[in-house]
Amino acid sequence: MTSLLLTTERLILRKPDARDTEAAIAFMTSERARHVGGPLDERQAWRAHAKMVGHWVLRGFGLFSVVDKATDRTVGISGAYYPIDWPEKELGWHIWDPACEGKGIAYEAALAARRWAYEDLGWTTAVSYIAPENDRSIALAKRLGATLDEDADRPGHSPCLVYRHPAPEALS
Amino acid sequence: MTVTLTGPTLTTERLTLRLPQASDFETLAAFFETDRSKFVGGPERDRGKSWRIFGHIVGHWPLRGWGSFVIDLGDGKPAGMVGPWFPEGWPEREIGWSLWSQEHEGNGYIVEAMSAIYPYIWNDLGWDTAVSNIEPDNAASIRTAERLGATLDPNAEGPDETDLVYRHKPGGYPK
Repeated sequence: MTSLLLTTERLILRKPDARDTEAAIAFMTSERARHVGGPLDERQAWRAHAKMVGHWVLRGFGLFSVVDKATDRTVGISGAYYPIDWPEKELGWHIWDPACEGKGIAYEAALAARRWAYEDLGWTTAVSYIAPENDRSIALAKRLGATLDEDADRPGHSPCLVYRHPAPEALS
Repeated sequence: MTVTLTGPTLTTERLTLRLPQASDFETLAAFFETDRSKFVGGPERDRGKSWRIFGHIVGHWPLRGWGSFVIDLGDGKPAGMVGPWFPEGWPEREIGWSLWSQEHEGNGYIVEAMSAIYPYIWNDLGWDTAVSNIEPDNAASIRTAERLGATLDPNAEGPDETDLVYRHKPGGYPK
């Protein structure tokens, strides 16, 4: 049974919607978005959020909004991303709220999202595409057990590193 | 796994106005490759970018609770889109439309679709006014706006400075 709502010790992961718009725009218009195609102006930022919402309909899966149970605030997104021009399916994450850094929030969310991708979506492998200068994301990928895959195809035109996650059987 | 949009299906004599779905993408991408898309943000020959454009059109529905409908002539294939549109940064709520191939022009499809869209926005959504933002050299859309009884509002502001803003007659469907 496929679930659209995941819960962890501190977090709720749910489909993104209008409740997340304000925080999504705040992130995508900020310098924090520099590794993920930003910063954007407000119009573009809204469309970027709408695109993440639409991804769920076009693919049947997507990036979850990561909600902090304690504050009920959306602090980022984490989940499955596969736009039509991506070489393969990705596990992605953006941490919107700087106050959530250094607390293992992104790790907790990504672990839950990866388990969901493997168990519910049936993925047999997964990569994360990370900008070479995005030290925080590289550290998170390594903590998740992902390793650099030099041979994997890269999406788009910007330089990026491909981290491949351990296969489902390696995690069980 | 299937995730579907929530919203109504509207019908007119010849048309079904339905929610966009993943299978509409290829026809949209083909439209965006042509110059016909120049008044709605195209042309865009990068399929990845077209996919993201479609993604945000789809995502508009859950974010606003309403959005643009696919015009279906009964064969399941999209002939274009029509309906309410209000992304962030738009000065006011718009009714937009596009027909995706030349063969569908000149059949009165948009005007017919509006016989269902007008009641939807005035009655179901409760709007009291609506505009269409049209580029000055988009003669076909200007003609459509005029056939709908919309009139140029010289005081209204469009999303782009050069846009002509046509204001629709609230309350009904002008003959």
